[in-house]
Amino acid sequence: MSPLPGASRMEQLVESIAERVVNLVLDAVDINALVAQIDMDAVLSKVDVDGIVSKVDVQKLIDRVDVQAIIERVDIEQVIQRVDIDSLVEQTELGTIIARSTSGVASGVLDVVRAQGVGLDDFVARWVNRILRRSSVDWPAGPAQLITPTPVAVPSMESTP
Amino acid sequence: MTVASGTAAPPVAGRQGNYAGGVTRLVAFAADVGASWGIFTLALAGIGFAINLVTGKQVDLASRQILALIAIIIWEFVYFAYQWSLAGKTMGMALLGIRVVATDGGPITPRQAVIRTITLPLSFLLLGLGFIGILLNKDRHALHDRLAKTVVVYSWDARAARLRWLAKQEPTKPA
Repeated sequence: MSPLPGASRMEQLVESIAERVVNLVLDAVDINALVAQIDMDAVLSKVDVDGIVSKVDVQKLIDRVDVQAIIERVDIEQVIQRVDIDSLVEQTELGTIIARSTSGVASGVLDVVRAQGVGLDDFVARWVNRILRRSSVDWPAGPAQLITPTPVAVPSMESTP
Repeated sequence: MTVASGTAAPPVAGRQGNYAGGVTRLVAFAADVGASWGIFTLALAGIGFAINLVTGKQVDLASRQILALIAIIIWEFVYFAYQWSLAGKTMGMALLGIRVVATDGGPITPRQAVIRTITLPLSFLLLGLGFIGILLNKDRHALHDRLAKTVVVYSWDARAARLRWLAKQEPTKPA
């Protein structure tokens, strides 16, 4: 409550006058024309964007972003349809990677097949030896030229003329 | 250059150079029979199609049995002899990682390849007894191996295969 009698009514009167005046001014002023006169480039050039950005806590901002909700709103199929796979393969080493992985799978399968073959060979040989009651310990593993270690040719330490 | 008294690591890794066993050889032979018959059938169909295209006559080469038999014998001879003399291995042998070498481990000569190809049917004609040496002999000689003075060894590098496998396992290990 105001200390002076009648002050409250005065305030109301002033407020209504001020409100009326502001409305009259706003009606009289063409806001669009006013905005058009403003040199936005000049205004923006004075803004220190780096300073503003440095004050922003990006981590806090990111924490507030609901990434899951954004992902759910993205139409992945539509995005994939817009990707030019051929161009992507041409521009990247994806082709090489695909070729490598394919050959890797093929060599992996071959390794498994060959390993199985060697395993079965050993299994059969073991059983044959067991039935014939003989030992193959002293038998040569293979032809001499392929099994015997070969001497190595190394450069001579003697000084050459 | 002088020859050092020390020795290098063996020229083979894993089972490379060891005498190949019967199972691997059998599977490789089966693969070769399949491959050679497949190629032969395709070639017959291709020749028949070409004749039909040029002359307009429908020719079924497979129905001429004697001609087809002679053709398959020649083809099988070429298939095995050519590949053995060229690289010491057929397609099936390459798949299974084995190859034919001379008894001392050296490369097979074209003459040995031809003898081996001609005498291979002998091992079958003796009710398969020609193959029994693969199981019983210490150098795993079949009859045609003995006649051609050849042996079959593993050319597959098992140790390298193991390293490849380990390399694949490495990235999946937890940190």
